[in-house]
Amino acid sequence: MRTKRTKRAAAFLAGLMTLQLAACGGGETGKVISIEKEEDRVVNFFSPMEKSDPDAENVARTASELTVTMAEEALGVTMAYRTYTAESYQDKTYDDVALDRARNNMDDIYLLNPDTVLALGAEGKLMDLSGLDSVKNLRDVVKVANTVDGKLVAIPQEVAAYGLFVNKDLFDQYDLALPETPEEFLECCRVFQENGIETPVGANRWWLETFVFAMGYADLYNGGNTEAEIAALNSGEARYSDYMRPGFAFLKELMDRGYIDAEKALVSEAIEAEGPDFLAGKTPIVMAYWGAANTETAYGKTDFEMQVIGFPTSRGPMPVVPITGYGIGAAAAHREDAAAMLDIMTSDEALQIYSETNRVISPSKNVKVDCVPALRPLNERIEEGVYVLGSNAGMSVEQWGNTCLIVRQLLGGATVDECMAAFDELQAAALDS
Amino acid sequence: MKKTTGKKEKRKGRPLLFSILLVFCILGSIVYAVSRKIEAEMSSSAIQNLSESLDLIQCTIEAILGSQADFQILVAQEIARMEDPESYILGYEKSQAVARMSLIPAGETEGVSNTGEAFTEEGLDFSAGGTVRGLPVSQSYLNYMGTWSYTIKCPVERDGREIGTLYAEYIYDAIDESLPRDGFYNKQASLYVMDARSERFVLKPKGMGMRTAGHLNLDDFYRANDIRDGEIRAEVAACLDKGSNILFYHDVRNVRALNYMWAINGGTIFLVGYVPVQAIQQEGRTVNENIVILVASMLAAFFLCVLLYYLSWRQQDKIHREREEERKLYNQQLSEALQAARIASESKTTFLSNMSHDIRTPMNAVLGFTTLLNRDAENPAKVREYTKKIMASGQHLLSLINDILDVSKIESGKVVLNLEEFDLSGVTSSVCAIIQPMAKDKGQDFQMYVTGIRHECLVGDETRINQVLINLLSNAVKYTPEGGHIRLRMIGREQRSPQYERIRIEVEDDGYGMTPEYLTTIFDAFTRAENSTTNKVQGTGLGMAITKSIVELMGGTIEVFSQVDRGSLFRVELELRIAESEADRQFWVEKGIARVLALEPDREEQESIQTLMKNTGVDLAVASGPEAAGELAREGNFQLILLDWDTLGMDAAGTALALRETLGDSSVPVLFLAEHDEEEAEEALSVGRAGVLKKPFFVSALREKLEELWRDGEEAPPPEAGKDAGLEGMRFLAAEDNEINAEILEELLSLEGAACEIVENGRLAVERFRESEKGRFDAILMDVQMPVMSGHDAARAIRALPREDAGKIPIIAMTANAFAEDEKAALDAGMDAHVPKPLDVELLKSVIKQLSARKEP
Repeated sequence: MRTKRTKRAAAFLAGLMTLQLAACGGGETGKVISIEKEEDRVVNFFSPMEKSDPDAENVARTASELTVTMAEEALGVTMAYRTYTAESYQDKTYDDVALDRARNNMDDIYLLNPDTVLALGAEGKLMDLSGLDSVKNLRDVVKVANTVDGKLVAIPQEVAAYGLFVNKDLFDQYDLALPETPEEFLECCRVFQENGIETPVGANRWWLETFVFAMGYADLYNGGNTEAEIAALNSGEARYSDYMRPGFAFLKELMDRGYIDAEKALVSEAIEAEGPDFLAGKTPIVMAYWGAANTETAYGKTDFEMQVIGFPTSRGPMPVVPITGYGIGAAAAHREDAAAMLDIMTSDEALQIYSETNRVISPSKNVKVDCVPALRPLNERIEEGVYVLGSNAGMSVEQWGNTCLIVRQLLGGATVDECMAAFDELQAAALDS
Repeated sequence: MKKTTGKKEKRKGRPLLFSILLVFCILGSIVYAVSRKIEAEMSSSAIQNLSESLDLIQCTIEAILGSQADFQILVAQEIARMEDPESYILGYEKSQAVARMSLIPAGETEGVSNTGEAFTEEGLDFSAGGTVRGLPVSQSYLNYMGTWSYTIKCPVERDGREIGTLYAEYIYDAIDESLPRDGFYNKQASLYVMDARSERFVLKPKGMGMRTAGHLNLDDFYRANDIRDGEIRAEVAACLDKGSNILFYHDVRNVRALNYMWAINGGTIFLVGYVPVQAIQQEGRTVNENIVILVASMLAAFFLCVLLYYLSWRQQDKIHREREEERKLYNQQLSEALQAARIASESKTTFLSNMSHDIRTPMNAVLGFTTLLNRDAENPAKVREYTKKIMASGQHLLSLINDILDVSKIESGKVVLNLEEFDLSGVTSSVCAIIQPMAKDKGQDFQMYVTGIRHECLVGDETRINQVLINLLSNAVKYTPEGGHIRLRMIGREQRSPQYERIRIEVEDDGYGMTPEYLTTIFDAFTRAENSTTNKVQGTGLGMAITKSIVELMGGTIEVFSQVDRGSLFRVELELRIAESEADRQFWVEKGIARVLALEPDREEQESIQTLMKNTGVDLAVASGPEAAGELAREGNFQLILLDWDTLGMDAAGTALALRETLGDSSVPVLFLAEHDEEEAEEALSVGRAGVLKKPFFVSALREKLEELWRDGEEAPPPEAGKDAGLEGMRFLAAEDNEINAEILEELLSLEGAACEIVENGRLAVERFRESEKGRFDAILMDVQMPVMSGHDAARAIRALPREDAGKIPIIAMTANAFAEDEKAALDAGMDAHVPKPLDVELLKSVIKQLSARKEP
């Protein structure tokens, strides 16, 4: 018995020694060391960036990276990020840089705002994506908004609806119902101002145009005669300025009453300027995109009850949906790999992950995800089919970018009439071309 | 005491434990110190390595900038030689290296670009004063391609006169192409290029996640990586101003990292980034991990060895302890054996002393009375008295010698049981015959009971059983005072096997009893209870030892219970095989006995009779009184009547007659069962065809008695003339080397009227027989141990003689070798019988009678 145990112990020790020798034995096999490197397949992706906060969790970015990782693993292609964000209003905007880079074929995939989609699409700088497998799952509205000259030039990962982010606690504090019409909105602002909140609406130089779109196109998109009205605009029978005037007049009133700090807004980047005050409960109303309600870098974590509602119109709260999207350079160096990656990133499987992580409205008609409670009022309107588009490739005059610029003129001191004249010029130029 | 020893051992173990711990602590400290040293050296080496890598990148970028400047100087020289420099510029195609080439003629503010557009210096900031090869380099800016770029301006001189300024726009992406493709330290290090003046990040890492690629400027870098330490920031700012390099430790997302700012081109641009410390100390960590693995392996091996040693030690210790235990046991056994030997020696000394006394006493009597005999030879009365006493002393001496020899044989394991069939009735009757007179002499009441015995014919050594019973009973008689009571009980116990009868024999007395101390040694040889009372009793002290040995030899057990002055009880348990011939039903059929009427008032006796008669096939009707017996007699035909004499007494005869009358047959045999008044019972025999059957009841005894009754009915044959005359007229040849014995033999035979020829040894006996005529001798009496030729050899020689009567003449061994094996040896040698010395003439006569009877038919 004892001999057996001793033998076992000896065998164990011998085994251990052998293993150690084997572990140490992997030495050099020769004098020549050959190093082989595989050629990396890279797709360059140009996108805006948010200024980083070390502890914040950016859900949207996480969601996007999950789909990128899925595509990288499926194709063995690496996505290389190239980013730009204007440091101040004096810098070139992201859209400007995106246009420059796309026009000079600097990257493969671009994340584009509606106006740049239309501009680059019209210039033929973007690849036609209608052949991708994922396209057949897209909602029609998404396809319409991104089709230029019969080519689908961009596909989004989310339907970026804009709305008013309100501090419900403050409304309750002053016994105010959430505003649905412009009049109610003005009344709320008055009450807030009378109660010491001098500037009830936090604004930046980008997103005030959403008020204009909501008021201007509420009837156009929800009146049941959309195609005819757009046709009239494109033919010159109707004027864009007529649609835009109420919104500009409303903004002007807000500015005039001091509900918006126009001067500050003109030099403010999105969220950076108005965000801190809103989060601190000093500003009851700001405007932002859907995803801002989900991400901690924006308004995903508030100390008060936040609700996201539509912009005030005569038809009630109105969400504004400017559909952004990923475009691929028509002459991009890695356009095939880029197209394959985008196909995977916008597949139902990827969009399901994206939407679940980011809790946004998916562009795929097959993907449905519950939204956070704060977004329910906005979501209900969209589900009812009540919303206006912030961009429409079917309109001869680009909406999102141009309106933004003209709103800045208003902020800069231009009159409503001057602003309307600018629209008329744009329409005339479009008619001429 | 054990606890104290345990504590001491624990205390002894502590220093060893502390020593081991100390050694481990020292070893651990050394390993830790070495590990730290290696880590520090490796860390230093890693920082050196990082610095060299950054230097390399710095040199690469500066080389690119230098080559760009050189290229631009060459272009400027080329342009200077041209007649139409503007057309050269317009014809220059955009390349990866140069995004835009422009020329502003001297003295003008606007020139041309290769893009075809007008070009002014507006938007280009050369105020920082950075140069490459002496050429001014602008601050970084976003160019028309939407990418970060810088412009170097170079004067175009012709014949020593400046004719214009050449502006070349370079994009940082060109530098990016020359940077390490896979980044630093397996992509764990980040690398940005920062414009020193604006602190904007103009080149970001390739192939990294959005988050790490997302730093906008130095502030953003600080915020993203949570670098809030004002001191660090101030140091960095100072380095940026001076255009020097800086490295600092700071945790990035909870990971310790080394951050760096590396000046390029005199500080116009900086390399910015961080690398996790564990990434740059990979080798150090690997070495430390290997050290840990090595130390862990060695410790594991060490502890394994310790474990093996401990197991081995424990095994050895166990063996040692077992041996120690064994040794102690041996010592104890040895000590006990020594003690036993001492006791035995003392016992033997005592025994010898006793024997000396016991042998000398009768010997003294023999010699003393022989002297007296010699003196009073003329007085016949005294001679008879003396010879009687000599005879008694001799007998005692003989029994003493027999006991000693028995013990000697038992101790040497030479006793062999002589198994043969026997009847319990024989045992009881022979024991009773011996003990009853002894008890009667001492006025003691001796009673014998037999109950529950199913089979009385058994297989065993009857002689030895007798010996056991006689030993126990004679002891009871000896150690019970006059008027005491002695009981012998034979109790049949429940059978464990149908082939065996279990019997319990109890001998109980109300005598002196024994002390508890003596009870423990009663069965040891050479011991005898010593006190003033028992010292009067003669004995060898060997009886109980012999008894126990015999009982155990038979596979039985013996127990003793005793109290001083209350008496003793000896209990023997025996299991004896039932004899195959026991169930002899034929006898009863032959005698025509099918029904027996028994009148026995005692219930136990009734049961005993019924049990014993069960196997005979005879129908037994038992009545408790005369009336019941009369009733039974009326019912049936009985061929035998058993009547209990002890109960009926003198009425027994009348009862017998009455029953015969009832049965209508006056010839029905009647047997009276009697225990005490056997002689009186004989008076009842007057009823005719009757007998007395001694209690306890046994079937064999009944059969025997019935045989007697039937025999009495027949005419007894007249005794043969001369047959009872013993040895009269016979002639013997005796071989005996001892003269005295020879003389005694001769005299004893002559007293019986027989003649005897004595020879001195076996050879002479053989010769004498060979020489003698046929019929000269009736038998040969042969001693065994003789000089020249032993009795055995002589017997063989005689049987081998070529004479007709050589094989027939009775040869009787007559020797002091009195054991069974001696008898067997004699028979094996061809002798016919064995008679032990001292010679018992009656026995000799009986043997000769048997041999004659065998020979005659």
